[in-house]
Amino acid sequence: MAYQFDFGQVVSGEYGQWLLSGLDVTLRISGIAIVLSLALGTLVAVLRLSKVRPLVWLAASFTEFFRNTPLLVQIFFWYFGSYSVLPDAVNEWLYARDFEFACGVIALTVYTAAFIAEEIRSGIFSIPKNQLEASRACGLSFLQAMAYVILPQAFRVIIPPLISQFLNLIKNSSLVMTIGVMDLTYMARQIEAHTFHGFEAFTVSTLMYLTISLIVSFSVNLYNRYVLHVRSR
Amino acid sequence: MHWDTVYKNLDYLLIGAYPQGPLGGLAMTVILAVGGIFGAFWLGLGCGLMRISKRRRLRWPAMFFIEIIRGTPLLMVVFWFYFLAPVVFGHTLPEAESALIALIVFTSAYIAEIVRAGVEALPKGQMEAARGSGLSHVQAMIFIILPQALFNMIPSFVNQFVSLTKDTSLAFIIGVNELTKAATQVNNRTLTAPTEIFITIALLYFVICYCLTEFSRYLERRINRYQARGR
Amino acid sequence: MRIAVRFTVLACLLTLFAAIPALAGKLEDIKARGALVAGVKDSQRPFGYVDEKSNQIVGFEIDLMQALAERLGVKLELKPVTSSTRIPMLTQGAVDIVAATMTHKKEREDQVDFSITYFMTGQKLLVKKDGGIKSVADLAGKKVGSVKGSTSEQNVKKAQPDTTVISFETYPEAFLALKQGKVQAMTTDESILVGVKNSDDKPEAWDIVGEYISPEPYGLGVAENDSKFRDFVNLALMDMWTKGEYQKIYDKWFGKDTKDYIPLTWKMELWP
Repeated sequence: MAYQFDFGQVVSGEYGQWLLSGLDVTLRISGIAIVLSLALGTLVAVLRLSKVRPLVWLAASFTEFFRNTPLLVQIFFWYFGSYSVLPDAVNEWLYARDFEFACGVIALTVYTAAFIAEEIRSGIFSIPKNQLEASRACGLSFLQAMAYVILPQAFRVIIPPLISQFLNLIKNSSLVMTIGVMDLTYMARQIEAHTFHGFEAFTVSTLMYLTISLIVSFSVNLYNRYVLHVRSR
Repeated sequence: MHWDTVYKNLDYLLIGAYPQGPLGGLAMTVILAVGGIFGAFWLGLGCGLMRISKRRRLRWPAMFFIEIIRGTPLLMVVFWFYFLAPVVFGHTLPEAESALIALIVFTSAYIAEIVRAGVEALPKGQMEAARGSGLSHVQAMIFIILPQALFNMIPSFVNQFVSLTKDTSLAFIIGVNELTKAATQVNNRTLTAPTEIFITIALLYFVICYCLTEFSRYLERRINRYQARGR
Repeated sequence: MRIAVRFTVLACLLTLFAAIPALAGKLEDIKARGALVAGVKDSQRPFGYVDEKSNQIVGFEIDLMQALAERLGVKLELKPVTSSTRIPMLTQGAVDIVAATMTHKKEREDQVDFSITYFMTGQKLLVKKDGGIKSVADLAGKKVGSVKGSTSEQNVKKAQPDTTVISFETYPEAFLALKQGKVQAMTTDESILVGVKNSDDKPEAWDIVGEYISPEPYGLGVAENDSKFRDFVNLALMDMWTKGEYQKIYDKWFGKDTKDYIPLTWKMELWP
């Protein structure tokens, strides 16, 4: 089959604008979800290490459930399934807003938080136990000890795996196009539908994802080398 | 709630239209996952060994491949193989095969990294001793290094298998009739029970993945104990 | 282990060979294969959908394809496609023919060829009864559901630039979003809207409104530049029409006694 390559059409003019606006949505949805998932993930990890049985149990089932189901199914669940769970008034209020985007953020946040919680937990485990005991002995409460002594140390070790989770989140954000969020992947498909020049659109958007990924993993390598003094590769 | 909708369509969710029609649903998901891990293991092993090779012309292509694939969303890889590979190769692939190949290629990049980490984690003395006793580099790799490294990597492989099982849901987007696709078909026809349907398939995926995760943890404990004994 | 490796290599090679397209025309291809591979919708009542009892894909377009396969003397193989996958699948040769509510559009002529019109409809809006939306003009500032890669998506944006179009993979998903209030209207061809509306528990709660946003003549999609196959398809369609076979299939899915009643008001273009 003869195929005429035409990158000009895809990178400039209206379709170029589409890709850029898609990139913008991808970055925004990932940015918001990164902040929220870090917060939620930390909370879950701390709950899981607490001594209160029901909380530990709750946190454990949260991580196990959301880690072991596909993100795509979770996205569908939040988008189509939340309807009959929430009261009508809440639904109406939500739907008047950018509900697709919100759903994408929620799904990405919850899914990634489950992974982040595990990373943070193993990071905290890497801090010797007597640190916690010592700070408790100094009169700090459990939460204070966590916040001022354990977490700051743990985060230093956790940062590289954490960032690779964030990177996964950015890549996973491509799935939100299934519920109509106009992200980079969505736009690439739109261009394919309009121009039938899918090849070019997919090439350009793949390069955009790659650029983001490479920048992020490059900075992790720098961090490893200069902060943790681990020689990478 | 309309749990009866789920109950009535459960056979379709589990095996699709089989035996009157093509196999689908959960059975297809399992086929994709098992076929995927089998293919990805060999491709990933080859790629991982190339990645740790001392020869540049082996190492660089592998590095390039791994970095590109790991930096690209799986959905993009799936689209690449489905819509665009025919433009390049000039012939078409059926959707299930094309999804399977995309999954294999994608997962193999991650397996390659596991292989690399596994081999590099072994003490250097192993290789030196093997070479010292007269084995060639390749022989030492096959008979001394890999058996140990692969053994230690088993839990990571199982974890990768869990990811792969979840990733098979993306095959739905190009129309492969696996569990997620079957669920959307049922949902599209009934339109009454989206919550129930998606909870059901989430649970189905969960049961498989959770069992595998627990299995991997069990293996990890066993392997740790085994190694501690050897020391 | 060695056997396993050999087997994998063999399987890979076989897939490759099976995938290389033969150079002969489609007509010879299909006859040699003994099967017509048709791309059809699998969640588009009544054109093509999975039947609840038999778990098989059935519908108007499937019956039409069955009639075509009988004329070819081969059996029919169905492949589900969506609005966004149907053209790529056809150009790549994954399917021989596409019967998937596809509008014959000029822009699509670059990629594929079309048969004569086998179904005539127009684009309208589906809204909640008494929801205040009566025409495209009322869509200003509202969200409208449609489907990726469809003509409806592009037409409605042209007719009312001040609306947000949310695109889904399939029409029922768009309808579900409408039912749940996530979009205020959904837009596509009237024939599809009728089917979608009737698949609801309470069809009377919904209204199909507005003037035709655009005419939507459906054509069967076939590969570009294979006039022998296209001629065969066209003649087969005309033959079905003159023999009354088309009308019988139409009545089965859109006739008075069906839930999806749409009167047959147009005539197929018959070549003398």
